[in-house]
Amino acid sequence: MTGNIPFNIPFVAVAALISIAIYIIISQRNLIKIVMGISILAAGINLFLITLGYREGGVAPIYTHAPQDVMVLPVPQALTLTSIVIAVATLALMLSLVISIYRHTGSIDSEESRRMKG
Amino acid sequence: MLIGQSGFAFWNPIVWVIAFIVVMAIAFFFRSRGQKKYKKDTAQTKIFLSGEEVPEAEERHVRADNVYWGFFETLKGYYSVILRPHTGIINDYIIWFIAVIAVIAIIIFIAGVV
Amino acid sequence: MIIAIPLLAAFLTPLIGRISGKARNIFVITSLAFVGFLVIILARDIFLNGLHVYTLGAAEPIPAGYMVPVRIMLEVDSLSIFMGIITATISLIAVIYSFSFMKGETGHNRFYTLLLLLVAGMFGMEFTGDMFNLFVFLEIASISGAALVAFRIRFADSPEGGFKYIVVSAISALMVLFAIGLFYAQYNLLNIGALAQAMQYTMLDKMALAILIAAFAIKLGTVPMHMWLPDTYSVAPASITAMLLAASQASMYALFRICFTLYGVTLNLATVGWIVIVLGLFSMFIGVTMALRQTDLKRLIAYNCVCESGFILLGLGVGLAVLGNPGALATYGTMAISGGIFHMINHALFEGLLFLVAGAIFYRIGTRNLNEMGGLGHLMKFTSILFLLGALASSGIPPFNGFASKILIYESVYQFNPILAIIGILVSIITLAVFMKAFFSAFTGPVLPKYKDVREVPKSMMIGMATLAVIIVLFGLFPGLVREWLTDPAANALINQGAYIEGVMGVVP
Repeated sequence: MTGNIPFNIPFVAVAALISIAIYIIISQRNLIKIVMGISILAAGINLFLITLGYREGGVAPIYTHAPQDVMVLPVPQALTLTSIVIAVATLALMLSLVISIYRHTGSIDSEESRRMKG
Repeated sequence: MLIGQSGFAFWNPIVWVIAFIVVMAIAFFFRSRGQKKYKKDTAQTKIFLSGEEVPEAEERHVRADNVYWGFFETLKGYYSVILRPHTGIINDYIIWFIAVIAVIAIIIFIAGVV
Repeated sequence: MIIAIPLLAAFLTPLIGRISGKARNIFVITSLAFVGFLVIILARDIFLNGLHVYTLGAAEPIPAGYMVPVRIMLEVDSLSIFMGIITATISLIAVIYSFSFMKGETGHNRFYTLLLLLVAGMFGMEFTGDMFNLFVFLEIASISGAALVAFRIRFADSPEGGFKYIVVSAISALMVLFAIGLFYAQYNLLNIGALAQAMQYTMLDKMALAILIAAFAIKLGTVPMHMWLPDTYSVAPASITAMLLAASQASMYALFRICFTLYGVTLNLATVGWIVIVLGLFSMFIGVTMALRQTDLKRLIAYNCVCESGFILLGLGVGLAVLGNPGALATYGTMAISGGIFHMINHALFEGLLFLVAGAIFYRIGTRNLNEMGGLGHLMKFTSILFLLGALASSGIPPFNGFASKILIYESVYQFNPILAIIGILVSIITLAVFMKAFFSAFTGPVLPKYKDVREVPKSMMIGMATLAVIIVLFGLFPGLVREWLTDPAANALINQGAYIEGVMGVVP
């Protein structure tokens, strides 16, 4: 794994996704857009994990029927699966909280729907 | 039971508790020598405010906002600086987070080079 | 076992709750008490026999034919079990307290399910020996925590606090995952012990270290990333605030596990130590001065939490800075770490007590605003004594536990750098001023007419608070015993990186 992945498109995509996500999260005042930003961040990091495990010309890592040649690494795929599940749970919770913030304050602007500061 | 090791002082809670009990005993001794023959339910047990009318309970109590008023008045400059980042906006929290990552990374990299 | 029981119990709770509410309460408390019992047995065993490694699905840590551990592993040493004791104590007390406190609310089944999930997440973070599991349990703890913060959804500010908590946790957890990815890219390893052995401290490792420090620092509310903490803590139900306190301590544990065990001596120790110390100093000073200004009782205590975690960071940061220097480590480094760890449990105990007291006041008079309180000491004598006790312990007044741990930190830090100790003492004095403000405006003064009918809180809340108070006094009176049995082994476990690696990899030839 040490250094045999050339500089390639997936890593550029990862960098782009993460920077877009962070830009959205820090610049957009709309709560729904913040949630979308977090979702994009999760997608970028999942792509990062998957890319780490990719081998040129590999096949799916199913041990029972796999031919004895190059397989992509199974561990990052397991990690990604777990992290997608977690991301979904987080997303659902965040959206439901946004809904109830909207019900209470009538706004989904993070500047107008704040009660607490100082 | 000693927990301090600097050699300048020592700390033993049991000794402290004994000392506390002794001091309390002395205090209670003085208190018990006090005047017992005051008249209840007369002006002797009321609040004395230079002969003025004593205000109602709600007006008598010092509110939390007014406690340490002088302190905040003196440190107005400090508090106006320190309150500015406390906006309560979630985006600002994340900006601080990213900034701290950047600062720590830069410090660690510089320390590695030097 | 310890993680599995709350997790299983969490899913059984709604089923039992359908049958009857009382059965559910008994079930929840029994399972937590059983978990606490297991923790104590394990603690005794670890104290006598050293650290334990559990490999899920196999007997040996490293399967035959492999050079590296591939299975999921739990690794428990004295520090992990110390954190486990904190979690078990606080969660048990929080549950007892909740029985009365949440009586007026609906959705008890969901409440206790989430609470058990939060407990499982915290135990998982503390006992895991695997970076990715750390992330998974961190997320379990934050999701259930956020749901619990926003539990009283009829108040307008609850969902806002919950939303802030989940956004902060989600982003920091994703950053942790990114750092884990960086490790995996270089070493193909996820196990903490194996990673520590392979650690090269390359460019990517430094990046990962920066991300991990910041991510866990935001989770434990270090200045300048503390602003979410008062927002969240003040709106959560009081028992949940005490639990969140334990959850942020679990993050603190993760931070130090990473600094000490994962990187260990490969670090540029002085630099990272000073980063931690500076974060701690900022937290102490800004936390306490902001606390002085608050008029919301729970926000005031929450800012004080920021300040107290600064003390812990100070103690452990000093320990980290001298980790590579055996002479300094022996004279004051170990004492600093031990004091920091001691302050961790004290922090959980007295801040937990203060939050529970604030919750008791809220339960009776329905407001957290200090401006509207007054004269409650005449009506809630027991509660006011407990508040005073927690406040004095927090300001480091003898003979309570806060004094015992703070004097350890002062004495060791003084030998490292006298200015740090002086700032620490100054902050302690301001802390006392903060609590005198809160005590003065809430409990003293004449009885306000609108609170004439206020009575003491129900029994189960009282039991919860009194238990904490008794532990605080005991820890204050016998600090030597606590140090000998709990904090010194934990400090040694933190310093001794080799033992942790050996636990996984076997003796290195």
